Formats: sequence, C-alpha cells, structure tokens
Amino acid sequence: MCCCLAGTAQEQQGITFSGSIQSDMLIPQDDEDTGATKERDFLTNTYADLLLQSKHVDAGLRFEYMEHPLPGFEKDFAGWGVPNFWIKGRLGKKVELTAGTFYEQFGSGFVLRTYEERSMGIDNSLLGARIVLKPVEGVTLKALSGKQRCYWSWNKALISGADAEVSLDDFFSFLQNYHTHLIVGASWVNKYDDSDEKAYVTPSYRVNFPQFVNAWDVRASLNHGPWSLLAEYAQKGPDPAFLNGYNFRKGSAAMLSGSYSKKGLSVLLQVKRSENMSFKSTYDISKAVGTSSTINYLPPFTQDQTYELATLYPYATQVASGEWAYQAELGYNFKSKTPLGGKYGMLVKVNFSHIHGINRQFYDSTDDVFAMTDGYSSLFFKWGDGTYFQNLDITVTRKLSKDFKLNLMYMNQHYNMTVVEGGGGMVHSNIFIADGKYQISRKTTIRGELQYLATKDDLKDWIYGMLELSLVPHWMITVADLYNIGDTHIHYYQGLVTCNFGQHRIQAGYVRTKVGYSCAGGVCRWIPATKGFTISYNYNF
Amino acid sequence: MRKIFYCIVLLMLISCDHIERENRLIYEKPATAKRVVLLEDFTGQRCVNCPKGTEVIEQLIAEYGDTAVVAVGIHGGPLGFSGNDTTTGLATEVGDEYYQHWNLEYQPVGLVNRHHPVNYPEWAAAVKEELGKPAPINLQVSAVINNSIIYIHVDALGTEGLTNGMLQIWILEDGIRAMQMMPDGSSNPDYIHHHVFRKAVNGTWGEETTIKEGEKYSWEFSQAADPEWNTSKLSIVAFVYNDNGVQQVSKTKIIQ
Repeated sequence: MCCCLAGTAQEQQGITFSGSIQSDMLIPQDDEDTGATKERDFLTNTYADLLLQSKHVDAGLRFEYMEHPLPGFEKDFAGWGVPNFWIKGRLGKKVELTAGTFYEQFGSGFVLRTYEERSMGIDNSLLGARIVLKPVEGVTLKALSGKQRCYWSWNKALISGADAEVSLDDFFSFLQNYHTHLIVGASWVNKYDDSDEKAYVTPSYRVNFPQFVNAWDVRASLNHGPWSLLAEYAQKGPDPAFLNGYNFRKGSAAMLSGSYSKKGLSVLLQVKRSENMSFKSTYDISKAVGTSSTINYLPPFTQDQTYELATLYPYATQVASGEWAYQAELGYNFKSKTPLGGKYGMLVKVNFSHIHGINRQFYDSTDDVFAMTDGYSSLFFKWGDGTYFQNLDITVTRKLSKDFKLNLMYMNQHYNMTVVEGGGGMVHSNIFIADGKYQISRKTTIRGELQYLATKDDLKDWIYGMLELSLVPHWMITVADLYNIGDTHIHYYQGLVTCNFGQHRIQAGYVRTKVGYSCAGGVCRWIPATKGFTISYNYNF
Repeated sequence: MRKIFYCIVLLMLISCDHIERENRLIYEKPATAKRVVLLEDFTGQRCVNCPKGTEVIEQLIAEYGDTAVVAVGIHGGPLGFSGNDTTTGLATEVGDEYYQHWNLEYQPVGLVNRHHPVNYPEWAAAVKEELGKPAPINLQVSAVINNSIIYIHVDALGTEGLTNGMLQIWILEDGIRAMQMMPDGSSNPDYIHHHVFRKAVNGTWGEETTIKEGEKYSWEFSQAADPEWNTSKLSIVAFVYNDNGVQQVSKTKIIQ
C-alpha cells in the first residue's frame, strides 16, 4: 500500500508556498498473546500543513484526519478538520501580529507553553491573537489572548498573558566589556473561566471555582564564557481542580540550572522544585485528566532516552502532586592519540537524575469540610513520599577503527511504578546496551544494537536486538525483536523498510508492540499493544 | 520601559490572590427524594482512585439513605481483577461487558440512572438532580433464600403513562474482604468491598416489559446461590430502564 500526494514549491512575486504531509497508518490485527485488538481495518493519523510566506504577511493552516486514529488516543481525539489556521503580519522588525491559532512559550514554560507533539496527541494551541513587540534592541514584549484547543473544540476559558524579556547587556556596556550576557524576563498568565462545572466534595458542598486564576514567572539567564546560569521561579494562584483534590493552595515552581562547557568538557547541574502546578484550561474532569487542555509545562529533569530498553520505564513529571528534581551530567572527550582516547578519541558521558516527592502534610477534614480546601502544608526543603525516579547512566562512545564505531551504555534505574502508573511498586533495573555501527562501503552501513534489562521486579528481564542496514541515499532496512525473558515470554518484533526519494519518505513494515507508556518531554500516554502492517509517509515541499 | 515594569509588578501583585476559606465551597441543600436513583460505580481492585469513588458513595448514602440511592460496584474493565490462586478477584465477564457497552475510558466512573458517564466528584450533582425527578412507576422487590436457592419477587405499579423498557434483576454482596489498590499506591489486602455486583439474574440486559399507568405487575425469579457468596450479605436490586435512563429502582436484603 502506498500513499502518494504531489505538491509544488513555487515562488511568485516574493510569495513562497510550502508545506508538508505526514501520514502514519496501521492495518491492525488481533493478537491473543499481547491483547492487541482489531477494532477497524484501517487506522491513520494524517496531517497536512500548508504555509504561505511573503515579506509582510504569512499565513498557514493544517488539515488533520484522525477519524479512526492509531491506538492509544483518547476518544475525543478522533475527528477531522482544519483546527489550525493563522495569519501573521509584520511591520518592519518591531511589530509582529498573529491572528488565528498559534503556539507560544513564556520562559521555560512554567506558566505558559502551547505546543504540538503528534506522537503524544498533544496540540494545545491557542485560538485568538498575539502581538510581539521589539521596541528597542534587546527588548521583546509579548501579549496574547485566546481559547485553547481541546481536540475538536476550544475550551471555554479565556487564556491571556504577557511576557517581557530584556537583554541587559544591550543596555549596560560593562556587561559587554566582560563578554557577559544577562537576560531577565517576567511573565503573567490569566485564566478566565466562568463555566458552570459542578464538583462536590460532599453531597452538600460543591467547589466554588474561581473565575480568574493568575500565574506569574520571573527568570534570569546569565552567560559568561563557558559558564551559564538560569534561575526561574513561577507561582500560580488558587486553582482547585480534580487533579489536585480541589485544594486552593497556591502552586509554585523553582528552578536553578548551571552549566559549564568548553571544548572536550561539559558539566550540567540542575535542581527544580514544583508543587501544585497543574494548570488546565477546563474544570471538566473528563478533559482535564488526559494530556489535553494543559496551559503550562514543567520540563523533565531526566535524560531523554532513545534506546528501546532505556525507555521501557519512562518517567512522567508529577505536575499536580509536585516533586524535587535533580540532574547532573558530565561529559568528557578524551582526545585522540592519548592512552584513553586511542587513535580516534573517546567520549564519556555520565548522567544522574533523581526525582523525589515533596513533603506534604494533609489537613484532616473529617470534622471540617473546608479544611480540605487548604490541601496540605509543605516544608519547602523537606522531602516526602519517597523516590519517584532515579537514573544513573554512563555512556562511552568510541571509534575503534576507521569504519567501526561503538557506543556502550550502562544504566541503573529506579522507577516508581506506583507513582507514575498507579501501582506496581518500585522497579529497580540494570540496563546494558551495546550499539555498533560498521561502514561496509561508502554507501553501505550496518548498525546493530544489543540490549539487556535485568530486574527482579514487574515482568523481570528483557532483551532486545536490532539490525539496521543503510543503503544511502535511498534505502534502510530494519529488523528488531524485544523479548521478555522473565514472565511473559512474548516477542515484540518489527521489520521495516524505509525509502527516501527526493522529498518523499516512506516506511513500511510489520510490527508487534507491547502495551505501555510512551513519553515525550515528561508527558506520557498509555498505548495499548498493537500488531499489524504499518506505513508511514512524509513529504515536504 | 519603566511603565512596562510597573505594569508587570502590578499584575504579579494582582495574581497574589487569596480566596477566603468560607468562599471556597458553596452549600447546597440536599434534594428531597421523589424516587430511587441507581448509581453504577465502574470500579476495579487495581484502580487506586476507586476508593475515592467509594467514599463519595458512602457520603451519598449517609445523606440520602440506601433506600433513595442504590449503589452497585461493578468490577471489571482494565483495572478490574478476576482473581488468582491466592487473591480474591471481584471482576466478572458481565462487568467487563457493561464497561465496554457504555464506552467507558477510565475508572472510577459512574452511571447515574444510566444517562451518561459521570466522574465521581460530579456524582452528588447527578444524584441530586435525579432524586428530584418523579418516577413513572413504583417498584418493590423482596427475596428469600431457601436451600441455597434465592427466590425473588418483584411488584410494579404504573403511576404515569406507559413505560416500555427492560426489567433487570441483580444480586449484590456486601462485606467482601479482598485486595484493593489505594490512592497512595499501596495495596490493602483487607479492604472491605460493599454492594459488589455478583450476578445478573435475568440475563445481562434484563427482559422486556411494558408497564401501564394504574396497572399492577408481578414477576418471580429464582437463582442458585454461588457457594462463594456469603448469603447473609446478599441483596437484590431490581430496576426498569429504557433509552431515557433508569425509570425506577428497588433494593432489598435477602431474608434468610
């Protein structure tokens, strides 16, 4: 099965027309062993983006077809239409005005981040207007207002906000003289929601949802030579919701991140504390419990992993309950022609992250129903609730010969399945990964992965093997198998052929995938087991 | 620049909002029951939030009494547990079928008089609304057990117009000690489960019936008690439902 659509790029009188198509398709099959079920003959998530650009005005739209979407998305995700459409005008370099749907992020996203992540089914764009002003060099001001997309409708709440960012080195010459960049920023976001949602804490008392919820954020970023430092603090006003047990306690997030980077050496140290920062554009529980309708974003302090077994137990940021998060990373490149570096050099990376619950002492509301609206008390620096996640990974990348490169990784992981998934206890695992890449000829490369996950918890041990043959510039063939040695003894296999022709990319194959969490950026989605023929088509024009 | 700075500071000050305790909740007078309401709680032993739903049910029964609010815990769905050699499971195939039929996506979730899925913080509102609606029929169920056979008698009287629907008879059991995942993620092996759905006596979806205003109807059913059931803790629920929801409900303890 092949899906082909044609597009042309053209430039007429300074107008550029471009776009892209992405279509992921599955012809599912039932599978008794894994529990995969076939509910329809054909499932697809298909997106088509169109963009018109000119000197003063840009315009774009996105067509989406998910009437019968891939497995694992919420029921409201199904549908089709043109949910994104926008026009942007520019007046010189100082004014930019957008009307329609748009994405925006203030600072690290603690109080506002709207974005699209297709693999997660996330598109929380705002429909409204935004203005960006750059009145003088080094100053950026933003103001916006709009309603947030929730699948195929827009939530009733009006989200408004403003952000100011000033690059102080543009104003103070002594900073420039010291080659120091200092950026300070502040944001404010307001949610106005007068919907008539009714949530009861007892049969006689219902929550009086505030019409206005404010959140603000301040931040400073300092760069001097190889040194960088980012400090950010955000606070959110009382925002009782299903996810926080209808408490009226303020939310907060504080982050400190420092790094040092110069040739061959990099160091990163980060710490973050957040609590009660779930910020949704609806009080409707059925919408709020999923990944939709989220106004803000808390960046995860865990290493992004790509290897299959390293992603088996992914961590999801605990936005509502809060967490202490720490991350440290050291990277060192041993130079070539040294005893450790060998002929081609060697890169060693060590990453450690630890996520811990915050201290929370819940108020007793047995005799006073209003006490529950206080939620809990919390000592800022005190830990509570145990470890949510911990990861230590050591990666060594070394080129052993002109044609062969080896990547070795060891990972020690503690995953609190109860906190992330609701049950299962702590899963402690050791993961060993070897990834070798051999260049057979100028156009032919073969890459292989062998991975082993050892644990006495959950489903016990796993093993994974993968071979990938690249025949540049057009072809790539991949075969892989994930096998549970411990409890289930089930193979999760895949065979894929990928071809690239010009701006077209088609991947087709047969896959059997396991049930589990898929995560991106600390946000996770539960995906059921699947089996069947898969086709993925991408086209840019 | 200075004006912008002041504006931002002002906005932050505004955002330091505090809502006084007494303004956080709104008191609502409980409804006067004009009928009996059926609350189907789709629950599961592996569902950490399900005990929160049970708490709401306990509050509703404390407020309105179990003669006005009939709660049924239907175990099944993805977080249901069918049991193994060492642990008692309460999920049933019929419970799974109900979960699938109503297109439910998560647990706990409830059906209040079978209108649409309702999340547990909203059960009180839905129950209150339903209690205020008059029912078109009166329903009365009674049951006795003799030699492990449960004999069920149902009486109905039409009080308003013509009611076409399905008459459904269920057996429930209280006081079952079995494992339950708790909101803090722990597993409680001694959790006491009440009003657990055990059996649909007259088929998964009941049997057709027509009830006319002013006319009386009676039905007799019998059901062998499962040896695993504690017969002293059993009760019977009878209800009539159609596309407009549950029309009336009745619940009784089984007389030994």
